[in-house]
Amino acid sequence: MTVFSFVFKRFFKGVANIAFISIIPLAAIFLPLGEWHPLPGGFQYYGIIQLFLAARLSGIILEDRSNKTLLRIGAAPISHFQYLFQNTLAYSLIMLMINLLFVLGGVLVHGEVLINPGILLVLYTFFGMLAISFSLAWFSLFDNKEAAFSVLTGLAMLMAMLGGMMWPIQAMPLLLQRTALLLPTYWLAEAILRLAGGATISQLIMPIAMMLLFSIGFIFLGSRKRLF
Amino acid sequence: MTIVHMKDIVKRYGNQLVLDYVDLDMVEGEILGLLGPNGAGKTTLIHALIGLIKIDAGDIQVFGTSHKGNSLDIKRQLGLVTQDISIYEDLTARENLEFFGGIYGLKGQVLKERVAETLSFVGLSEYANKLPAKFSGGMLRRLNIACALVHRPKLLIMDEPTVGIDPQSRNHILETVRELNRQGTTILYTTHYMEEVQSIASRVVIMDQGHVIAEGTIRELVERIQHEEKISLEVAEVSGELISRLKKLNGIKQVIQKGNELQIISQVGAGNLDRVLAIAREAGGVRSINAEKPTLEDVFLTLTGKRLRDGEAE
Repeated sequence: MTVFSFVFKRFFKGVANIAFISIIPLAAIFLPLGEWHPLPGGFQYYGIIQLFLAARLSGIILEDRSNKTLLRIGAAPISHFQYLFQNTLAYSLIMLMINLLFVLGGVLVHGEVLINPGILLVLYTFFGMLAISFSLAWFSLFDNKEAAFSVLTGLAMLMAMLGGMMWPIQAMPLLLQRTALLLPTYWLAEAILRLAGGATISQLIMPIAMMLLFSIGFIFLGSRKRLF
Repeated sequence: MTIVHMKDIVKRYGNQLVLDYVDLDMVEGEILGLLGPNGAGKTTLIHALIGLIKIDAGDIQVFGTSHKGNSLDIKRQLGLVTQDISIYEDLTARENLEFFGGIYGLKGQVLKERVAETLSFVGLSEYANKLPAKFSGGMLRRLNIACALVHRPKLLIMDEPTVGIDPQSRNHILETVRELNRQGTTILYTTHYMEEVQSIASRVVIMDQGHVIAEGTIRELVERIQHEEKISLEVAEVSGELISRLKKLNGIKQVIQKGNELQIISQVGAGNLDRVLAIAREAGGVRSINAEKPTLEDVFLTLTGKRLRDGEAE
C-alpha cells in the first residue's frame, strides 16, 4: 500500500492543500442560514467545496503523469488497477475525514438547525465519491495539470449553478430544470432538500442511487485511459 | 546465460511500423550499449522489454520467463532509469527512494537499509532530507538513477541517463554504472554519447528504422565496417623520394602532403605503422606520429548515414 500511504504524505505536504482543507470548510461552517434553503449556507454549498477538494486530491494522478513518474511506476510490479485503487481509496478517506469534521463542526455551531447530521454525512460521503470519480474522469482527458484545473473550475461552478446548489431549481426555465436531472450536483441538492423536509433514508434511495450510478460511470470513464 | 531473449518483435503505431521483427538477446553480467538515431525504435524496444507496451507480434522472455501473463514477476527484477528525470519534487531524496522501494515490495528495516545504502552509493547521503528543488542537474540525475536501484534489480535499463549534465557528473554516473556491473547487475544502456558506449559497453547493438542493423563488441563492429586506418606523420623534411617510398608499401592507398605533415591511408591489418616509421626516420627524422583507428562513431555513420547526435533523444 505504498501508493496509498504516499498520497497522504504528498497531499498534506502541500501548504495550499492544508490551507484549502482547513480554511474553506471552516469558513463554510459559520455561514448563516440563507433566504430560501432550509440548511445553513455552508451546508448548501459544501458540494462545490467537495468538487474542488476532489480536484485537488485527484490532481496527484495528473502530477504523476506530467512529471513522468507514472512511467517509472508502470515499470514497477504494480498493476494499473492497484495504482488507481490505492489512489482512489486514499482520496476517499481524506474526503471522508473532512466531511466528518465538517458535519461535526456544523453540529457544534448550528445545533438542531442542522437536521439529521448522520444522514447528511452519508449524502456528503456519496457525493464525495462522485466528485472524486468525476475528477478522475476529467483528468483522464488532460496531460497538463494547469489546463485541466482551469477548465474544471468553470465546469464545477456551472454544474453547481445548474444543479440547484446556488438557487432553487424552480427559478430556472423548464428546459434547464430538465437538463439539471443529468447533472450529478442536482442529486445532492435534491437529497439535501428532501432531508431538510424530513425525509427518511429510504426516501433518499433514489438520489443516492443516482449519485452511485454517476460515480460508477465516471470511474469507468476515468479508468479507461491506460496510465501505463 | 541469456537473461533477455526478444524474438521477432513487431510494434505498430497506426500505420507506422516502429519495431520490425527485432531480435535482441542479453547475456547476464554484460553492459549492452543500445545505439540508434532518433526514431530508430530504441525507447519502444525498451518499453516492450519492461512490459509498458503491448507488442503486436513476437516473444519476450526475461530471466527465462515469458512476458505474457508474468509481467509483474519480471518487473520485480528490472530497474528503469528514465530519460526524463522522473522523481517527486515534493518529496525529499530519502522519501523518493522510500516510495520507489515500497512499490517494489520493500518495507520496514530492509527498506530503510536499502535507501541508506543506495543514497550512499550515488553520493547523496548528505542530501537525503533535502527536496530535489535544491539539487544540481547532476544530483537530480543521480537521484533518478538511485530510484531505479533501491530494489537492487538484476537487470537495469538506462535510457539516456546522462542527458544535459556536466562532464564531472557524467563521469560519476559512468563510474556508478561500472561499479553496478562489477557487483553483478546486467545493464542495458542507451545514449547519444558515443564515448560513453565506448567507455563502458561490453557489447553494442545499433538500431535504425525499427531494425537491428548491427551488433557485436566495439572491436568486432569496427573491424566489420572499416577497412582503412589513417596515419598522421610530421617529419623534418618532405621529399619526393619519401612519398614515393611510402606509396610503394603494400596496403598503402594514399599519401597526402600538407607542409611537413603526411597523411597516409592504409589498409587495416597491413601492419604499415612500423614500416612508415622506419622510412620516415631514414628520410631525416620524425617529429610526431599518430595512428587513428576507426571509431564507433565512424561505424555508426557508415551504417546509418547519420551522426548519433544529429538530433535530440528519441
